[in-house]
Order: sequence, then structure tokens, then C-alpha cells
Amino acid sequence: MTRTAIHVDHIARVEGHGNVRVVIEDGIVKTVEMNVVEPARLFESMVRGRRFEEVPYIASRICGICSASHVVTDLLAIERVFGVEPTDRTRALRDLLVYGSYLQNHATHLFVFAAPDFLGMPSVFPLAETDPELFERALALKALGNELCTKVGGRSVHPITAVVGGFTHEIAAGEYRALADKMDEAREFAIRAVDLFRDFPVPAIETAGDMLAMVEEGAYPVAASRRARFLKAGAEFDADEASERIEEHAVPHSAALFARVRETGRPYFTGALARANASWRHLGQNAKVAAAKAGLRPPEGNPFMNNVAQAVELVDALDRCAALCRRLAEPDAFEGASAPVAFEVQAGRATGFTEAPRGALFHEIALDAEGRVEHASILTPTAQNCENLEADMRILAERLVADGAERDDVQLEIEKLVRAYDPCLSCSVH
Amino acid sequence: MTNANGQRPLRRGPAAAPRVVVAGLASCFGCQLQITNVEAHLVDVLGQIDVRYWQLASSDPMPEEFDVAVVEGAVTTEEAERLVRTLRERARVLVAIGACATTAGIPGMAAAGFIERPRQVYEHVPAACGDMIAPRAVGAVVDVDFEVRSCPIDSLDFVDVLQRALYGSNKAVPTRTMCGDCKRNETECFFGKGTLCLGLVTRAGCGARCVNLGRPCNGCRGLSPDANLESARAACGRYGVPASDFDRALEMFNQTNPVLRGGE
Repeated sequence: MTRTAIHVDHIARVEGHGNVRVVIEDGIVKTVEMNVVEPARLFESMVRGRRFEEVPYIASRICGICSASHVVTDLLAIERVFGVEPTDRTRALRDLLVYGSYLQNHATHLFVFAAPDFLGMPSVFPLAETDPELFERALALKALGNELCTKVGGRSVHPITAVVGGFTHEIAAGEYRALADKMDEAREFAIRAVDLFRDFPVPAIETAGDMLAMVEEGAYPVAASRRARFLKAGAEFDADEASERIEEHAVPHSAALFARVRETGRPYFTGALARANASWRHLGQNAKVAAAKAGLRPPEGNPFMNNVAQAVELVDALDRCAALCRRLAEPDAFEGASAPVAFEVQAGRATGFTEAPRGALFHEIALDAEGRVEHASILTPTAQNCENLEADMRILAERLVADGAERDDVQLEIEKLVRAYDPCLSCSVH
Repeated sequence: MTNANGQRPLRRGPAAAPRVVVAGLASCFGCQLQITNVEAHLVDVLGQIDVRYWQLASSDPMPEEFDVAVVEGAVTTEEAERLVRTLRERARVLVAIGACATTAGIPGMAAAGFIERPRQVYEHVPAACGDMIAPRAVGAVVDVDFEVRSCPIDSLDFVDVLQRALYGSNKAVPTRTMCGDCKRNETECFFGKGTLCLGLVTRAGCGARCVNLGRPCNGCRGLSPDANLESARAACGRYGVPASDFDRALEMFNQTNPVLRGGE
């Protein structure tokens, strides 16, 4: 019997700690495991008994890169419990925060994590010498995301200013205009990023499971909707039903709970590719043209295309942020101010929902009459993706083995697939 | 283990840059991201050091020999504890970055009632979680030579501390509480509005960033050695803020500080 065991200890260039295990015997792929080996982080336990004001602060520490998304999702859940209606201006600022984390996340993932695979480098740093222009512009795009989050949220990681009912601080009109100009300047490079990732050769595989994304009529929503849709099944639900529609379950080899569609038991993918499939028609003009040129059109089922979808979202986010910033610079463009609106604390249970950079993010929270947490359940994109990732790793390994690929090639392609999912393993264990 | 205190410049000969490893324990990875967030200076910073291991950014494996270990995250497993000891043995200088590594931070909140907590999240705790221990700061396991505080760290603060670790410096680390900073910044005090703020007892050094943006200090830099907790509780009383709220709020970033458990 010939036995090939691939064991990648502590897979590099992803956020968090994970090992990949693949065992192939006599040309048959036997074992495929994504071991999430994060220490248990116990957030759902730690927030119990804490006052609602502290919860977004605590929950944002689940993840450095999508901290803004965790904060906004938590605020949406708490506001739904209290019956708070934030102003349009506050909603616009929250969109900006989420888009800021898209710019940070996608630029970091595409260039620092994913691109070295395709350029044959161990990290992005050699690029500083081989292609300084690409290196600098990639970092500049990431820096622009940081700047946006800093201007709106108070710092690049773990926002300060976003609170229940509004924002505690806002920048001046001139700063919004300056930000908008920077977004415009960055667009050309983002379009180049789409072309760059389109040109990287990837295996042609079709993802195993369904796809899940936020949807809204006539929009490409990131925080404004409560509707989620399983794209292949065509089933739509309100965020409050998330825990009924999505089944979390424990597997021994992962500290992250895995997730699947409760009704069918199918795994699913969530992230940029699912969003692009769900709302392609509502991408901005520049993003849509870039997507079409790159051959990204729904239904696109190749998980490697998540890289291209993220690049397309960079173009889209830049255009949307430029427009939002220009509107925010106008004194009367939005109804209401962003200063926190008054509210009364009351007991209840609700689920907040946003599209974090890496996919659908749900925070279910139950508060008592004093606004203290009785129960919290957090469902991160990566926790939802792990089971589908394993299924796709199997499909990919079988394809490569059938093609007679060498062990090292199988390993590299599987690592590339893991990175194309843009997992946040530390997030997945919370 | 002697504390380097910045007085031992890391040079392995005129041409050799100090060899640096970056390790992440239980954390959100935000402080490692903050290192990459010095974009404008990243190449300058990296030009002075030889990064031998950084799982977040590179697929090169961890080497046997290095000069500087940068550690992010709290120690929450026996494996992490062993790793920290190994890093301490091999590194000439150990730098703890972020609240998790310096005060146990948010992970440290789980230290209270730690035994019951895993069952509140998992029906059966998966083996992949490792051998869990109550969360603690890196400095509670080994000697730490340099700290970069805050949650998350400030990128330029990291560059500053790295400079001190590499080249040595007499710069004194501030130990005062935050309140003086707000006076200098001329920001309105939250206590005047009957709102709790932990700047009263928290180590200064961030410039009171949150207060400047309209939010009370949440204590992420950890208790100042100069903090007078009894006096702070009395001050809360004078402004109509329950002292119990003050004690509860301190649990967020100072749960494992022995001073809070009456260990003064």
C-alpha cells in the first residue's frame, strides 16, 4: 500500500492557528481535516452578566481585522432589543466602518496572505525588492482602509466611537472630502488587482455546498439588511431565525464549532464570492465592469474565485466610500445627526447581522431588564465555512491525485485553497 | 534571568541584523496587524531586523536561534506556557505586545470562574482546544524585558519600543495615571457627568485617546503602579458612581491583576 500523509502544522499566512491533515492511500483520499487548534476563547461565556455598553468592546476583541464588523453587529443586536432607530447618518457611518474593514481585510488578505503563493514567495516582503511599485501600492490600499477606520471609528483596529444609538465623535467635512479624493485615487490600482488575480492560474473545481449571503432588493448590502439567503436552495430568512436555520455542531479535531444548513445538513460557503453571486447586478459600475472582465459572473462556484471577488469588492468599496464621504461632507445630505439617540434599556432577545469582510456574521444576544447579558451566541464567517472548506479540500485533493500530482503540489494547492477562503481561525473560536 | 532594560544592544557583528521572531498566543491578532499597519515605515522597520519567524506573514518555520521574541496574546494553554518558556530561553530580549500579553487583557476575563466556562460554550470541549489553563499574562510566566501596552497597540509605539530593544535607551516608561493627560488635553471629565471612567487608575501613555473621542477610558493599558484604588472608589462615591460599577469595569482588562484581589 502506498500512503501519503500531508500534515501542515500551523498553516501560514492566515489569521489564527490551524493545521491541515490529508491522508491518501493507494490513490484514494482517506482523511481530510481542517484542525482549528485555537485555544478556547470563551467569549460567549465572558460576556454573560456584562452590561450592554461593554459587550461591543469585548466582542470586537474576537478579531483584530474585522473588529469593526463585530462592533456594528453587536450594536444592531442591542438596538433591536431596545427598539432603537438610529439615524440615516449613523447608518451611513456604520456602512463606512464596515467598508473600511473590507479595504483593510481584502488588501491584507490578497497581497500579504494570498499573492505570495502565486508569486512563488514565502511572504510579501521579497516583493518590496522585486516589484516595489506593486508592494507599495498594495500597502497603500491597506493603509487607506486603516485611515478610513481611524477617521470614522477612532483607530484602525477596535473602533472607539461607535456606540448604541450613534457615534461619539465625527470628523470635519473637509476630512470627508479628502478621504473621498483618496478613494478616487486608489481605484485604478484596485482595478489592477482584479486583473492580477484573474491572471493567477487556479484549479477548476466546484464548491461542495450551498452559499449564504445578505440580500436586499436593489442593493449590495453589507449592514443594511436583515435578510439572509441560501443561494442554491433559494431559501431566505430573517437574522433572528439564524440559529434555527443554521446548525452548529462540534467535531473533535476543531476548537471551532462547525456549521451546516439545518434543514438539509449541507455545508455552505459565505464570503465575498457568495455576496458577488447574490448581488452581482447591484455592484457599482466600475466593479461590475472589472468583474465581467475577470470572468466573475453568477453563478460562480469555484472557491478560488473568492480572491477575484474580494478584488472586485475593493473597487466597489472604494466607489461607495467616495460617494458616502462626499455626502457626509454636505451638511444636510442625511436625515439626523450621528450623536447617539436617546433610548431606554429593556429586556429582550435579538440577532444582529452584517456581512463582515469574510462573510455573514451573526450575534444573537439576550439582555435582562438592566441591560445585562443573559445569553450570547456568535456565529462567525469562518466557523460557518470550515465544513465546506473541508469538503472542497477533499474535492481538490481527489482531482489532483487523479491527475497524478506530486505530494508537494497537492500540499501547496490545498494551502492555496485554505487561503482563498480567507479564514480567520482565531475568529472561528470565540 | 536579568532584565535587559534596553542596555544590551543586539548586534551579532557589524553586518548582522538582530534575528526576530513574532509569536501569537490567545488573541485577536490585532496587535500583529498593528505591526503591519505602520505601512509608511514598514520597509524601514523591517530593514533593521531579520524576521526569522512570523506565521501571520510568512510560511518560513520557527528557527532554533534568534535574538528578539515579540509575543502577542495571553497564555491560556499548557502548550502556550511551554512556548513562552522556550522563547524566553532562546531570546536575549522578550517583548510583550498588547493588553493580552501584558495584563492578560480580554482573555483574562475568563480567569474568574474559569473551570465552569468551557461548558458554557461547548457541550463537550473539543480536544483541539488543547490543555486549557486559566488565562494569564506573558509576564506571569516569564520575565518580560519590554512591553507595548494598549488594546490594540499603537503602531508607532511598537516601533519606538522595538528601537529601544534593539539599540538601548534611557527613556523612562510612564507609570502615572491617565487623569493628568485629560487635564493637559483640556477634555471634560466624565465624572462631572456622573459617568464612570477608568482613567483614574489606568496607566497613562496613549494620550487619552478614547476620552478625546468621547468615550470613557476602559482601562486597556492596565492599572498604573501609582493607582490608589481606595481613593478612586471614594472619588466614584463623590460623583454618584457606584464603587461596585468601578470594580466591575476593572475586570475587563485587569481581571488577573493580584492588586484587584486584595493582594496589595
